[in-house]
Amino acid sequence: MTSRRTLRAAGRVTTSRRPRGHRQPWLGYAFVGPAVVLFLVFIAGPFIAAIILSLYSWDLLTPATFVGSGNFVALFSDPVLGKVLGTTFVFALASVVLHVVGGLLLALAVNRQMNRALSYFVRTTVFFPFLISWAAVSLLWKYVLDPSFGFMSYYVGQLGITLPDWFTDPTWALPAIIGIDFWHTIGFTFIIMLAGLQTVPPELAEAARVDGANERQVFWNVTLPLMSPTLFFATIITFIGAFQVFDPMKIITNGGPNDSTKTIVMYLYEQGFQAFQIGYASAIAVIVFVIVMSVTLLQFWGSRRWVYES
Amino acid sequence: MGSATKGKLTFAYMGDVSQQKGFKALFALFNKKFPGITLTAQAIPANNWATFTNAVATKIAGGSQIDVINIATEGQRLFASKGILTPLEPFIKQDQGVVDEYWSDCNPNLKKWNTKYASTDGKTYYMPGGFNTMALYANKDVFAQAGVSLPGSNWTWDDFLSAGKQILSKTGAFLMPAASGATAGYFTDVMPWLTTNGASTFNADWSKATYDSPAAIESANFARGLVEQGLAPKPGGQFDAPSQLAKGKLAMLGGGRWPTINMRDLKIVDKVQIVNWPIKTGHGSPVGWDAWPITASSQNKQAAWTFIKFLMSKEAGEYFATLGGTIVPARNSVAKSPAFTDNAPVGSTLLSDALSFSTPIPSPDRGAECQKVIEDSWLSVISGNAKAEEALPAANSKLNNLLK
Repeated sequence: MTSRRTLRAAGRVTTSRRPRGHRQPWLGYAFVGPAVVLFLVFIAGPFIAAIILSLYSWDLLTPATFVGSGNFVALFSDPVLGKVLGTTFVFALASVVLHVVGGLLLALAVNRQMNRALSYFVRTTVFFPFLISWAAVSLLWKYVLDPSFGFMSYYVGQLGITLPDWFTDPTWALPAIIGIDFWHTIGFTFIIMLAGLQTVPPELAEAARVDGANERQVFWNVTLPLMSPTLFFATIITFIGAFQVFDPMKIITNGGPNDSTKTIVMYLYEQGFQAFQIGYASAIAVIVFVIVMSVTLLQFWGSRRWVYES
Repeated sequence: MGSATKGKLTFAYMGDVSQQKGFKALFALFNKKFPGITLTAQAIPANNWATFTNAVATKIAGGSQIDVINIATEGQRLFASKGILTPLEPFIKQDQGVVDEYWSDCNPNLKKWNTKYASTDGKTYYMPGGFNTMALYANKDVFAQAGVSLPGSNWTWDDFLSAGKQILSKTGAFLMPAASGATAGYFTDVMPWLTTNGASTFNADWSKATYDSPAAIESANFARGLVEQGLAPKPGGQFDAPSQLAKGKLAMLGGGRWPTINMRDLKIVDKVQIVNWPIKTGHGSPVGWDAWPITASSQNKQAAWTFIKFLMSKEAGEYFATLGGTIVPARNSVAKSPAFTDNAPVGSTLLSDALSFSTPIPSPDRGAECQKVIEDSWLSVISGNAKAEEALPAANSKLNNLLK
């Protein structure tokens, strides 16, 4: 402070710089510009277009006609909608539960006193599948679970166990894809959980132990509450991603058998790009947005009861 | 009156990486003959024609300027009905001699079907360019090891089953896939069994679904029997039929011209022979053909017509067949020539002979949705998850709804 006063007194500070708020505003716009352009072109633009298109009947090849709420009226009487929504919710809920619980358990295991080399090995092994594209993962598992040539069928068969026809049996197709999704994406949840776990101050757990708490009590009363923001984040992210699942269903089962793996986004794709009902597909897109937003808001509302902000 | 020899032209065609080489060489030949026309070729990879049709429609909706499109049966009537193609009569009239010579070298069915199934108003919107029918590629070594003679042209479903059982017992090889593999589907798995039993998915003018006919149900049950008896691998995996055929673990696989490219890549052309599909009531096969229209929005229709005439020429047909095209050339003179039969399995000419008894693959306007309904129900029967007597009538009802 002394030196600044001295400088100001010497008349050298106030003349050397302009006030902070008036400096080169274009620089800030230049930095934020690309992100804003990308947002407008790839998110806001298509979003507005989908809302507008949902009010039209359009087959891509001939001019669109305005139908008002016609697409939504038809949508709510569409018997397929209920089925695909049910399938999507089952997938999304299973995905959330498996990822949050599985990711947390894996993170707890790795975070314990573990040999460092082993810890890195486990982290890499669990995270690695997440780096593979869905297309490659889907084809890989089609090979692995091939009922005639897959090595899983072969080796389990050697034990006298007959595996189900995973991708052609309506009972097993969705559980099989849920399992593949878990294998593919658990690494992401695991890393989030591990990062969250490492933010829990060890002295709090230690203080609880000094007070006589056992390990289970430490976990439920110290670790888990302090992990709640991480759990909340993982729940939201997993649900949003799972609700929009498309790739594995398209590549592995094409929505079958008997539409047992057809999700809402796959139905949207079929209506838009196979039935050429772009307006109807846009109405489905709007419904997907409303559902995802509603569930997310519900989660935020519910989080007030269980998420601890330290 | 001649065609344009200069201008810009965009051509959209179905082609994945494996087909690019042949197409690019063909386009290079065109550019050499017509250096004034700048041809931009857009390859659209797709695993079936329905997907390709959807991709082209999306491109047009997105404002892409396409002058000539390579459209297969599955999309021809749809595109013609939407008013986005230009009638070819004026161009045909200006080059009547060229067109007449072309038709005289093609099976008359192609000309008949070109207006019957590819137009809703009787006008000509397309010139057909090539086709595919279905036959069986047999591994001669597997048949020899099993002590089974290669089938004659009139072998029956019963002969087929007998051969399969003997092959399985002697070599352990599967007889053929049933709804398995990357190309499994409507054209390759469903229609051959239906057409060799006198059935089809729709009636002759595609106005009514006939997928629940007793003959169709019998066909589905027969195909299911192949899996039940261990003659076909269970569907639902990633079965690589050409590789299994090369390894001797599979005796036969179905296909048109396209498996020939696999046979070449696997270097087993000499070990394979093409034979007719076995029959129940008579010879049958689906047929799909690709064709070239000029879009109504084309800014250079004369140059587009020049390009189509080039594609119709014997020179282009032979050149493309030599390079490894995946279709049977429309011209009989090319389909029977060394350009097509060299470095190809014995019996390759059966693919063009099949045109005389083939059924155009039924492709109503909502063809992609119909295809999915048919494939889903067929797969559920073949995999044993539904009875043909229930699945096919249920699918038939959906198909009729899609026709409304």
